[in-house]
Amino acid sequence: MANLNIKSKQERTYQAIVIGSGISGGWAAKELCDLGVKTLMLERGRNVEHIKDYPTTNMLPYEFEHRGQVPEDIKKENPVVSRCYAFREDAMHFFVKDTEHPYVQEKPFDWIRGYQVGGKSLLWARQVQRWSDFDFEGPARDGFAVDWPIRYKDLAPWYSHVEKFAGVSGNRDGLDTLPDGEFLPGYELNVMEKYFQEQLKKHYGGDRHMISARCAHIHGNADFFAQQGRALCQNRNLCQRGCPFGGYFSSNSSTIPWALKTGNLTLRPDAVVHSIIYDEEKGKASGVRIIDRLTKEMEEFYADVIFLNAAALNSNLILMNSTSSRFPNGLGNDNGLLGKYVAFHNYRAGVSGEFEGLEEYTTTGGRPTSGYFPRFRNVYKQETDFLRGYAAGFSAGRGVRPNTEGLGMDLKNSLLNPDQYGPWYVGSHMMGETIPKESNYVALDPNLKDEWGMPQLKISVEYDDNDEKMVKDYLEQMTEMFEKAGVTNIRTRDDHRAPGLDIHEMGGVRMGKDPKTSLLNAHHQLHAVPNVYVTDGASMTSTSTQNPSLTYMAFAARAAHHAVAESKK
Amino acid sequence: MNRRHALRHIALISGGLALIPSCDFSSDDILAAYQKLKVKSSEKELLGAISNTIIPAGEIKGALELAVPDFILVMVNDCMEEESQSRFMKGLRAFPEFTGKEFDQLSPKEKEAKVKEGLMLEGDDTEEGKVKQDIQYFLNTTKRLTIQGYMASEYIQTEIIPYSLIPGEYNGAVLISDFQKPRING
Repeated sequence: MANLNIKSKQERTYQAIVIGSGISGGWAAKELCDLGVKTLMLERGRNVEHIKDYPTTNMLPYEFEHRGQVPEDIKKENPVVSRCYAFREDAMHFFVKDTEHPYVQEKPFDWIRGYQVGGKSLLWARQVQRWSDFDFEGPARDGFAVDWPIRYKDLAPWYSHVEKFAGVSGNRDGLDTLPDGEFLPGYELNVMEKYFQEQLKKHYGGDRHMISARCAHIHGNADFFAQQGRALCQNRNLCQRGCPFGGYFSSNSSTIPWALKTGNLTLRPDAVVHSIIYDEEKGKASGVRIIDRLTKEMEEFYADVIFLNAAALNSNLILMNSTSSRFPNGLGNDNGLLGKYVAFHNYRAGVSGEFEGLEEYTTTGGRPTSGYFPRFRNVYKQETDFLRGYAAGFSAGRGVRPNTEGLGMDLKNSLLNPDQYGPWYVGSHMMGETIPKESNYVALDPNLKDEWGMPQLKISVEYDDNDEKMVKDYLEQMTEMFEKAGVTNIRTRDDHRAPGLDIHEMGGVRMGKDPKTSLLNAHHQLHAVPNVYVTDGASMTSTSTQNPSLTYMAFAARAAHHAVAESKK
Repeated sequence: MNRRHALRHIALISGGLALIPSCDFSSDDILAAYQKLKVKSSEKELLGAISNTIIPAGEIKGALELAVPDFILVMVNDCMEEESQSRFMKGLRAFPEFTGKEFDQLSPKEKEAKVKEGLMLEGDDTEEGKVKQDIQYFLNTTKRLTIQGYMASEYIQTEIIPYSLIPGEYNGAVLISDFQKPRING
């Protein structure tokens, strides 16, 4: 604490502090700065500047010593992160290694993290589907969790707001389950995917749809995005390395440089947040206490309003570690529900197969997205023996391979002249809604600490019977759809992966109407500490099936405007 | 520049002092760059001859010229589990006996025939059968990594089939008959 007085309190005082620089923190900061609020952004990891700090972005395949593969020693030391599909030689440096930041798995949970400026926005899958009222009304209709305090109409203008700036490509599909937004031209489905689309129409009428997934890539309106220093997506599909074109949306390429340009943002990397400071006299939060990642010294910063965007589980951890005599069990935790009702997306199952037709066609070039099935189960009414349903990814593709059977000159010539077109490959994976439950929770471990003296997070999250039934139904339904479309060699898988590997962990600080049963109100303010806003995945009351980042962006923008409006009252 | 280039460099300037001496103190040194494999320089030479049999030189360079044996050893040393590394090395060491006479003294045709035979070996649980399995495993691994290292080499990806970081706009319905590529003669 010796360091506290080096800078005067005034120098360490801002109008707002945003904890976290990932997808939601970036949006909170951008909106606050655009509205003239002097904002401090705290990030626990190192700085990653757009382009400059993407060391692998323009590397060619042969420049990777292991051609992309992760060496065995690293895998053995870091089994959790090694299970993530994007943890490859070209992007390893953007992932948290198991060894660096331990946590306690009361039940198996693969916690995938990105501790750097930009957080996981550098690494995300860039899928951005809006929620609809079928999603927001889920808990109330089906009797789980608590009712969301907001509906689609509350969020719709903010979806539009963030989509325009982030750049979202998509087609206007006119589906009530997946509202259309402010779209740049969509990406094309290929000939096989279009065939599958027709087959769905033929066999299921208008009940099931497969569309080109909306994605956060710039596919048009280049002049507008040039203001952000971003350019059209080049279809490189090397997004996880960081994009030198800014072709996909990340905090690094978009919101953070934009906020810095206003002159209102101060970015402070290497700031491990210890806690939010609660002023007992004033009855509100007054600042944030950090531990410098490198010097391990503590420092305090002050502000009128605090945005907590540390990523779902770390936002829980920070609130739980923010204790005071008013809040001995964590900031805003009067009802004891902080850390509970954590949920995720069920990504366990997939179906793949082959299609023998359309053999005269193939594809060329690249595209950053694929097909998407919006949820079709239990949408209009309850129709199965499990609650809710699943969305699904879908893609078809066809590659040309060389014949690798021979040896010598025969082999060499066939390698250099690949001519074996296999059948179309068709694949799908599920994205299931899970039901938040009190028994799925995170808590602080009473004994174990990390290198910075912070309590380790204990995670206790597991699947339930509803999830098992949903996996089974997805496999049955998708297999049936594949069969009806004439797909053969159908293979199903349930990889029984641990929760967490979906990287869609949510909840613990849920929104709700009633302070007795929720932590946050309709504007993302802690009921008991209204100058603290939580606008990341921690605030989720239920999970629905859509990839959640777009919703967090809209939350953060909406809440930032609310905070500024409140301050002017 | 990676650590292997550096190690090789050190070995050169120190006249081999950087190499870990093998037990018999012969001149056939263990290569320090692949520390988990304890592979000798003579074994690496044999590996090179095998990979060059799999993809020989012709109008276009072969595996040996593109340092594919180094790539194979890097991958086996760094990206394989201990058990697989051990099977690979056992197979490599058993290979000379399998070929009967020095591999290097065989004609290209004989070399190809031997490698082909080894790729198809079937073993069983007897001592002899296990050796066959190891040789088969070693050769199949070597073939796979030769193909990977060769096709993903700088030479192939810049001079023969240039790799593009920017693949262009997606076309989801291209008639295969519409694009005819000129045949590359190896």
